[in-house]
Amino acid sequence: MSDEPFKRHLCLGCGFLYDEQLGLPEHGIPAGTRWADIPDDWVCPDCGTPKSGFEMVEIPYADGQPARALRA
Amino acid sequence: MHDSFILRAGERGHGRYVSTGPNASYIAGHPDAVLTRQSSFNFHEYQSGRPGFGSVRVFGEEVFSGAGCGYNMHPHHDFAICAFVLQGELTHINTVGNIDQLHAGDYYVFSAGSGGKHSELNLRSEDMHAIYIWFLPNRLYLPPAYHRAHFDSLAHRNRLTELVGEAEGALPIPQDARVSRLVSDQPTETTYRPASRQHGVYAFVVEGSAQVQGTALGRRDSLGIWGVDAVPLQTGAGHNDLLIVETVM
Repeated sequence: MSDEPFKRHLCLGCGFLYDEQLGLPEHGIPAGTRWADIPDDWVCPDCGTPKSGFEMVEIPYADGQPARALRA
Repeated sequence: MHDSFILRAGERGHGRYVSTGPNASYIAGHPDAVLTRQSSFNFHEYQSGRPGFGSVRVFGEEVFSGAGCGYNMHPHHDFAICAFVLQGELTHINTVGNIDQLHAGDYYVFSAGSGGKHSELNLRSEDMHAIYIWFLPNRLYLPPAYHRAHFDSLAHRNRLTELVGEAEGALPIPQDARVSRLVSDQPTETTYRPASRQHGVYAFVVEGSAQVQGTALGRRDSLGIWGVDAVPLQTGAGHNDLLIVETVM
């Protein structure tokens, strides 16, 4: 496992967020999957924007978010 | 150290979408609806321009033409989406719980936060013209929110008015950003003062013409500048209409 901090990538077509720490288990991407390890032909599950149309963001979460991780 | 760019109306990205064929689920209206989009920054298939400006990722001038034209219900997260209606009627349905109808001068801020959906439709025969601005938020997954207001151009003529931001009467936005408007019907000189030199100013001429930072801008031209304390704005006689976006850079 890499020691690099987990990063977050935001879809510029709709705002969908991919958080490396959380992955997308419901879409077959396990928690901890790095952005670089997601196939180049992957698209935003909400709007179809290609992987190249995401931007890495360093915006912190709001208080209490992400709820999904807090539940785990 | 300051920097700036000028973007002429014809240099923006141009998109034209019809409601039939591959975009049928995305574009509402049938059978002859046409949606056009002039993008100041990279958006969807337009990727040869600027990637954005500070926290702004989308600045688009859009026209919905034809029966029911618009965007079918679609999801968003996190972006704070602002729409300023210039002409026609925009019906806006969103999952914060609003079915809203906006006319010239009306505007909204839809902060998608942890997730929301919306649909935007022109149910009238007259074309609907609007300016859309999308801001990145300062926090991810905030509670979704919707606010709307009306800009009375007569009551506020010949002076800068803050429409989005912290000013009294302005709509709130979860970002260090502001949107102001200057509508003039006589020669007007004023100065836009950003919060600091770390803030940029993007001025867009909706109608008429203006001098911004000494640069002559025509209809739908725009100028971005950052690293300055003040941005001089000057309009001449007749009807002129400017949108001024300020954002942390």
